[in-house]
Amino acid sequence: MTTAALPRVPGDRDPRVSPLRRVTGSPALRLVGKRLLMAIPIMLGVTILTFWVLSLIPGNAAQQLLGAEASPEDVAQLEEQLGLNESGVSRYLSWLGNALHGDLGNSLVSRQPVSEILADRLPVTGELVLLAFVVSLLLAIPVALLAAHKPNGLMDRISMMISTLGLSVANYVLALLLVLVFAVTLGWLPAIGYVPLSDGLWANLKTMILPSAAIGLPLFCFYTRFLRGDLVDQLQQEEYVTTARAKGVGSWQVLLRHAFRNSSFGLITVVGLNLGALIGGTVIIEQIFALPGVGQMLLQAINTRDFVVVQAAVVIFALVAVLANLVVDLMYAVLDPRIRYGSR
Amino acid sequence: MRADRTTYATGDAYVSTGMIDSRAPAEAHRTPAAPGEPLLTVEDLRVQFTRGGRRINAVNGLSYEMVPGKLMAIIGESGSGKSVSSRALMGLLPGTATITGSIRFDGRELIGLDEKELRKLRGGDIAMVFQDPARSLNPTMKIGAQISEAVRAHADLDKKGVQARAVELLRLVRLPAPERRFHEYPHQLSGGMRQRVMIAIALAGEPRLLIADEATTALDVTTQAQIMELLVELRERLGMAVIMISHDLGLAASYAEDVVVMYAGRAVEHAPVRTLFSNVRMPYTRALLGAIPALEREPHSMLPVTPGQPPDMSALPQGCPFRPRCPNATDKCLEHPPFLEHEPDHWYACWHPAGTELDTAPEVTAAVAPATAAEAAHHSTAHDQGAAQ
Amino acid sequence: MAVADTPLQVAENPAADQDDAVPGGRRWRGQLGLWLPGGAIVLIVVACFLGPALLGLPKPVGGSVLESYLPAGSPGHLLGTDPNGNDILSRLLHGGRASLFIAATVNIVGLVVGGTLGALSGYAGGAVDTVIMRILDVLIAFPSLVLTLAVAQALGPSIRNTILALAFFSIPAVARVARSAVLRLRGQPFMAAAELCGTPAWRVLFKHLAPNIAPQLITFAMLGMGIVIIIEGALSFLGLGIPAPAPSWGNMVADGQLSLSATPMLVVWPSLALLLTVLSFNLLGENLRSRWSGR
Ligand SMILES: Nc1ncnc2c1ncn2[C@@H]1O[C@H](COP(=O)(O)OP(=O)(O)OP(=O)(O)O)[C@@H](O)[C@H]1O
Ligand code: SF4
Ligand SMILES: [Mg+2]
Repeated sequence: MTTAALPRVPGDRDPRVSPLRRVTGSPALRLVGKRLLMAIPIMLGVTILTFWVLSLIPGNAAQQLLGAEASPEDVAQLEEQLGLNESGVSRYLSWLGNALHGDLGNSLVSRQPVSEILADRLPVTGELVLLAFVVSLLLAIPVALLAAHKPNGLMDRISMMISTLGLSVANYVLALLLVLVFAVTLGWLPAIGYVPLSDGLWANLKTMILPSAAIGLPLFCFYTRFLRGDLVDQLQQEEYVTTARAKGVGSWQVLLRHAFRNSSFGLITVVGLNLGALIGGTVIIEQIFALPGVGQMLLQAINTRDFVVVQAAVVIFALVAVLANLVVDLMYAVLDPRIRYGSR
Repeated sequence: MRADRTTYATGDAYVSTGMIDSRAPAEAHRTPAAPGEPLLTVEDLRVQFTRGGRRINAVNGLSYEMVPGKLMAIIGESGSGKSVSSRALMGLLPGTATITGSIRFDGRELIGLDEKELRKLRGGDIAMVFQDPARSLNPTMKIGAQISEAVRAHADLDKKGVQARAVELLRLVRLPAPERRFHEYPHQLSGGMRQRVMIAIALAGEPRLLIADEATTALDVTTQAQIMELLVELRERLGMAVIMISHDLGLAASYAEDVVVMYAGRAVEHAPVRTLFSNVRMPYTRALLGAIPALEREPHSMLPVTPGQPPDMSALPQGCPFRPRCPNATDKCLEHPPFLEHEPDHWYACWHPAGTELDTAPEVTAAVAPATAAEAAHHSTAHDQGAAQ
Repeated sequence: MAVADTPLQVAENPAADQDDAVPGGRRWRGQLGLWLPGGAIVLIVVACFLGPALLGLPKPVGGSVLESYLPAGSPGHLLGTDPNGNDILSRLLHGGRASLFIAATVNIVGLVVGGTLGALSGYAGGAVDTVIMRILDVLIAFPSLVLTLAVAQALGPSIRNTILALAFFSIPAVARVARSAVLRLRGQPFMAAAELCGTPAWRVLFKHLAPNIAPQLITFAMLGMGIVIIIEGALSFLGLGIPAPAPSWGNMVADGQLSLSATPMLVVWPSLALLLTVLSFNLLGENLRSRWSGR
C-alpha cells in the first residue's frame, strides 16, 4: 500500500520520520520521563523523612550494641567510629552521596555491606509478593468476569460476599488461621521456616504457599471487587457497549472483548498502586512465618537501631512503589492506542 | 441552509417491498410484509424504570405504525422518551426497565423474545446508529475489528470474507481510503468519519430498519448534512426503512416523509410531513414550529418550547400531559385525550386541536400564533395546499 | 440486574435476577444493609464499654496462674482463661475498648486535620496546593507500616503514641479524598455564586464546602475505622502498640500464636472480634458509599 498518494489525515503517522525519532518523540516516553522527574523529589522527601524520624528514636546503635552497662566513653568512641556523632544534615548528605553511587553503606550491627544483605533478602520478599500477585490476579479475573456477567446473580452474590469478608480479615489473623488449618490441623504444610529455591522448587514452594496466601487472599478479594465494579460500570454506562450489543454480539463477547479490555486499564493502575502498600504488608507476614526477607530485616533493624539498614529498606520500598507506577504508565502506553498514538 | 432544503426527495413513493425480498436472506420468519402492511407496529408501548424505589415512566403508551422503506422522524423535547422507546425495539434497555405493550416487526411480536432471537434481531433486522460517535465506538479496538465483529455476528464467512465485506461496507458509507482506515483506531478519525463507521457497522447485517438516534446531533452543520444525505441515499439503495430521532424539527422537515411528535412518552401527533406542517393540530407541535428560528441559530440546542418545564416523568399531571403548558387547555383536558386518526393519515391526541372548530386558542397567544403560522408557511413547501381541511 | 444482555421484560414475568424491578424488596434490603452493620457496631461498642461492668467480669489483668487455661464455659469464665489465668471475655472486651478508642480518635484526627488540609489545598489551588500535595505524596510513598513502626518505636508503646503513629498515615489519605471532593465542587455554580457575592473564604469553606464534602469524608472514615483497627492490631501484634499486660486484640492474637496448636481458641476469639468489627465498619462504609454515589 503506498501511503504517499493518500491524503493526510489527523493522527496519521508520517512514514518519513525515522523509527528512532518516533520512539524518542513518543508521548508515552515523554509521560514516563515526566513521571521519573516527579519521582526524584518524592524519593528525596522519603529519605529525608526517614532520617528525621530515625533521629527521633531515643538511643542509637552504639548504645544498643554495647548494652546498657557500657561506659559513656566507650559509647562515644563507637559513635565516632560509626559516624553517629556528626550532625544529621551532614550524615544525610554523605549518605545521599554514597547512595547515588550505589553504595548504601554497611550495617551498623553486623558491619556487612547493605547491598550484600539485600541480595540475600530481596529474592525472598520478591518471590512472596510475586506469588501473591500472580495467583490473586489469575483467580480474580475469571471470578470477576463471572460475577459481572450476571450482576446480582448467584455467582455475583457469592463472590461479593466472600470478597467483603476477605477484605475485613487482617492479614496476620488470616496467616494464623491458615497455619491453624493447613499446618497444625491438617499438617500439609510447614507452619514456619524458609527453604531457598536452590533446594528444590517444591520444597521452596511448600514454605511459600501459606505466606503468599495470607497476602494474596485479601488481594484477590480486592481485585475481584474492583474489577467486577469496573466491568459493571462499563457495561452500564459506556455507549460502545450498547453499540456492541446492538450489533448482535453475544453477551460473553461483549464482556470479554469490550468491557474487559477497557476495564483492564483500571485494573493495571490499581495493581501498580497496590504494590507499594503490599510491600509494607510483607513485614508482618515475614515475621509470622520466619521468612528471611526485607520486611524481617527491617523489623530487626528498627529494634537494633541499625539505621543504615532501615534507610536502605525504606529506599527499596519507596523505589518499588515509584517503579510500579512507572511500569503502569508504560503498560498504558503499550495497551491504550490513544496514548500510543498521542491523542491524549 | 438546512431549512432551505425542502425537497421531499422520495415523496410518497417509498421503496417497494419487492426490493427488500430480493436481498433478504430466506429465513423462515421473514415472510415479507404485504404491500401496505406495516413493517413495524408499536402499540401502547410502556417502559417503566425503577431506580432507588422511584418509578420513572419513560414511555407511556406510545403507538405508531411504519410501512417498509419509509423515512420517519420522531421528534420531541429532551426526555420525551425517544431514545428509550427505540432502544426498547431492540431489547437494549437495562434490567431496571419493565416493558409492556406490543412491538410487532414484520408481524412478529418482539416483546418477550428470548436472548438468542434478540441477538439475531439486533443488527440483523433492526440496526441502530447512536448520537455520539466518539463514545459509541470502542476506543481500544481498530475500526476493522469493530466492523468485522458486526459482520461475523450475522454472516458465516471466513476471515478473508469478513474482511472483504467490512471494507466493502466502509466503501459503501464513502469512508475515504477504507483499506487504511481498517487498521486505524477511532480517535484517528474525525467525527463525521466515525459516524460513517457507525453506519457501516449498522449496515453489516443488512437491516430492514435502521434507527438513527440523533445520529447527526454531535456533528457540525456541514457534516450533519453529509451524513443525512448518506442515510437518504443508503435507504434508497438498500430499500430499508429509517427512523430518524431528532430534536430538530427543521432537520426532520428536510428529510423525513412522516413525522411522529412525542410528548411525555407518548405520540401526540403523527402525520406525513406536509400535512403536519400545513395543518398542525397539536398545540404542542405548534409551539415546536414557533421555536424553529431559534433552532437555526443554535443547531445543537434543545427545543426551547413554550413556557413551563418539561413534565416530570415520575409524576405526570392528570389527563393530557401537556395541560400545564397548553394555551388551549380547558377542564375537558383533565380527561385523557385519545390518540386517534382524526383526519386521513393524521393522528393526534387533543381535545382542542388547532385550526378546527374545537380550537380554544385564546387571544393571549397572539404573540405566538402569528409567528407560528408564518414559520409553518416558511418551512413547508406545502403551504400552497393551504388549510384545506 | 442483567446488563450484558437483557431479554425484553414483560411486566407479568420479571426474570429471577431482576430484583431491581421490585422496589419494595430493594428498599427493604437497602435499609437492612444500613441497619445490620450499624446495629452490630452499636452492639460492639456497648459491649466493650459497658459490658465488663454490666456483666461483672473479672479484671482483664492480674489473674492467678492457678486459674490458667480454663476451658470455655467454666463458671465465671464464659470463654475460659488464658495462660495467665485472665478471663478471656474480659480481655476481649477491654481490648476492643482500646481498639475502638484508638481507631475513633485516629479517624477524628484524620478527618479534622486531613480534611482541612485537603479542603484548603483544593480550594486555594496554586502554590499552597502544590506544597501540601507534594508533602502528602511523600507521606503516601513512604511505606505506611514502616512509618508507624518507626514512630511507635521512637515514642515507645502507649495508647497515645499509637494514635500519633496511626494519624500520620490517616491524614494524607483523608486529605486526598477531601481535595478531590472540593475540586469537583469548585466547578459548581453555587460555589462561583458564593465567590462572586464576595463571601469570605473561610465562610465558603465552612458554609458551602464542609457540608457538601462531609458525607464523602464520613463514608471514608467508616472504611478507615476498619483499616485503623487492623493496623493497630498489627502494631500491638508486633509489640509496638498497646503495652503488654493490657489487652488488645492484636497482642491477644500474638500471645495466642505461641500456643496455637494446643489452645487455638486463644487466637480464634480475638480474630473473630477483629473480623466482626472490621466487617461491620466495611459494610456500613460500603452501604453509605453506594448511597452517596446514587447507585
Ligand atoms: N436507564 C434509565 N434509568 C432510569 N431512567 C431512564 C433511563 N434511561 C432513560 N431514563 C429516563 O427516561 C426518560 C426518557 O429518556 P430518553 O432518553 O428516551 O429521552 P429522549 O427523548 O431520547 O431525550 P434526548 O433528546 O435528551 O435524547 C427520561 O426522563 C430519562 O431520565
Ligand atoms: S388536550 Fe387540552 S391540554 Fe392537551 S394539548 Fe389538547 S388542548 Fe392542550
Ligand atoms: Mg435520546
